[in-house]
Amino acid sequence: MPSSSKTNPGKVSVMARESELIYKPEKELVDGLFVPPRDPRKMNKILRKTVKDTAGAAWFDMPAPTITPELKKDLEIVKLRDVIDPKLHFKKGAHSKGHLKYFQMGTVIETQFFPSRLTKKERKATIADELLSDHTHKEYRKRKINEIHEKRRPGDFEKWKNKGRQTWKRAKQRRK
Amino acid sequence: MRPPRGGGRGGGFRGRSDGGGFRGRGRGGGGRGGPEGRGGGRGRGGGRFGGRGGGGGRGRGGRGGGMKGGSRVVVEPHRHDGVFIAKGKEDALCTRNLVAGESVYGEKRVAVQNEDGTKIEYRVWNPFRSKLAAAILGGVDNIWIAPGTRVLYLGAASGTTVSHVSDLVGPTGMVYAVEFSHRSGRDLVNMAKKRTNVIPIIEDARHPAKYRMLVGMVDVIFSDVAQPDQARILALNASYFLKNGGHFVISIKANCIDSTVPAEAVFAQEVKKLQAEQFKPSEQVTLEPFERDHACVVGGYRMPKKQKLATAT
Repeated sequence: MPSSSKTNPGKVSVMARESELIYKPEKELVDGLFVPPRDPRKMNKILRKTVKDTAGAAWFDMPAPTITPELKKDLEIVKLRDVIDPKLHFKKGAHSKGHLKYFQMGTVIETQFFPSRLTKKERKATIADELLSDHTHKEYRKRKINEIHEKRRPGDFEKWKNKGRQTWKRAKQRRK
Repeated sequence: MRPPRGGGRGGGFRGRSDGGGFRGRGRGGGGRGGPEGRGGGRGRGGGRFGGRGGGGGRGRGGRGGGMKGGSRVVVEPHRHDGVFIAKGKEDALCTRNLVAGESVYGEKRVAVQNEDGTKIEYRVWNPFRSKLAAAILGGVDNIWIAPGTRVLYLGAASGTTVSHVSDLVGPTGMVYAVEFSHRSGRDLVNMAKKRTNVIPIIEDARHPAKYRMLVGMVDVIFSDVAQPDQARILALNASYFLKNGGHFVISIKANCIDSTVPAEAVFAQEVKKLQAEQFKPSEQVTLEPFERDHACVVGGYRMPKKQKLATAT
């Protein structure tokens, strides 16, 4: 996972990354100054490294954020939203297979015209917390999980209880 | 007519519980309301939901449902350039706000703080109030409006969609917004005061000669005039301002052209008219869950001849 310099939020990580690229050992400096290499290949390599990774001008240079465990969790939960509420249906979207690369985490600002806002209690730090906080869905989730457990549990019938190798095989088959 | 969906393109969201921060169709997802003073008597929702608009005489959409203030969302790029999707409990189409901190028509915004500390805002784009957003969600292949393009917008009304188009084209693009009505033109001008890339023109779009000194060559014409002779209006403006090989996006309201024949016939008839005027319509999408009997036609203007002919000879 991310190195110690990258886990620091905000400016520090960016600065650290840039200094990594520019840093050269003492002996490569000329009179204590950094001289760009004359070989265009090497120069291009350096230039390519310094360009920030963004979605491009077409999306106003949306950056690719550093993926933290919390962000990863949020992205996963957004992808699996349809499981949370049986009545909500979502279109899959373009990035349904791979992981999102360019994205930003945002907060909705309430407007004065339609005072629809979350209360202080309802506000959460991450999307994962927010989506999973609804207690009505909690019951649904629990029920669903129990159903799945029930279905996959070996031997809920007296005859099918584990008594030897054969029954174990049968149970394994059922669990598939 | 069904939207021509290409395989696995993933244009927008499907009808129900999604776009523009709207949950379902029946929750007062009203049409364009009072201040615009046009397109009246729409009665969406098959009569089940008692017409349009929220209560209290406001007639604006978005009452209740949708994204609530304070909720967290992921903003990611849409398939179309300059368009974004905000994903949270619901999905919403967004554009990046050109004027941070300003809401044009009371729409919701999403605040984002980047890793380097800069702050950005996105504005939620409601498909029930904007036909362009409805077309995007309908899965149109290309809207041709992207960052850096110059757009002539006919039938700008109060400038709700124009503000989003202005977001789309960004600081390097340009939007010329033409509107005849003084009343809604006032809102348009007020909106344009804060957006440097919008030039409001309060003139009749039937007489492009009157504003020819204000408008340069454009890449795209978007037309939402809802007049019986809208094909002619589009052709006239295109002959003045649209570059060869440029594109047009026209929203057709069947009722405004001929209410006696079925909508599909009207659309076909309009497409024929466009073809006669050097336009080359490439696709047509219906705006169905959002607007009734509307279609959006996209195509090119004076398209260059295909190179194939040259190689064959």
